[in-house]
Amino acid sequence: MTTTILKLFVFPASLVLICYGILTILGGHITPGGGFQGGAIIAAGIIFCLIVYGLDESPIKLSDNFMASIESIGALGYIFLGLAGLFTTGFFMYNLGVDLYHIVPPYIVNIFDYPDPLHAGIIPYLNFVVGLKVLVGLSAVVITFLESDKLLENMESK
Amino acid sequence: MVYIGPLILGFIIGFIIGTRIKPSIGSKLNFPASVYVILAIVIVIIAYQQGPFPWYTDSVFANGLISALAGIIVGKLTFGRG
Repeated sequence: MTTTILKLFVFPASLVLICYGILTILGGHITPGGGFQGGAIIAAGIIFCLIVYGLDESPIKLSDNFMASIESIGALGYIFLGLAGLFTTGFFMYNLGVDLYHIVPPYIVNIFDYPDPLHAGIIPYLNFVVGLKVLVGLSAVVITFLESDKLLENMESK
Repeated sequence: MVYIGPLILGFIIGFIIGTRIKPSIGSKLNFPASVYVILAIVIVIIAYQQGPFPWYTDSVFANGLISALAGIIVGKLTFGRG
């Protein structure tokens, strides 16, 4: 049973969790953790809300279209970053922002450079798209479980 | 100089999630602006205690954390109104 204290506490706590997950994604090219771990932490925040408030009253609402869009953006972004390396250098997933072999024109290096002191190239962007995919994917699993009662009722009524 | 990489990416992810924070129709749950004000204070304290994550030297705060909350609030105010 969900108490009033839980209802008051969980939404702000889940937002703190989500911010922490985003921070984990942002440090993924230097620290342990990255896209998957950060995305899982964000999904934990969303799932926290879904469990406590329920699917209908949860303040964070993920629609089917939203989940499909973000999942597709994540996958396509990952493939795009890989193909960009393939088309410019011949190596799939070549780190265009770092250019270790010095085979890429400087203007392309500048495009894919990540503006921080380490200049990790495409790695932070890969973490970003993986994080988007994971946060939606893990949330979708729980949403499917929560909707399973309705599905079963519909199937039984038919 | 503040590094803009974490600021931009953190804001984008926060914005995406902030757009999904919407009030439920017919629900008694209500989270007014004061929730976000308190949350902002808490996040600034966490960001200060954390320091410039990860191993940056550009500021005394974890800028990614603050930009993430800024993204959530902006996303909520623009597309998350209901």
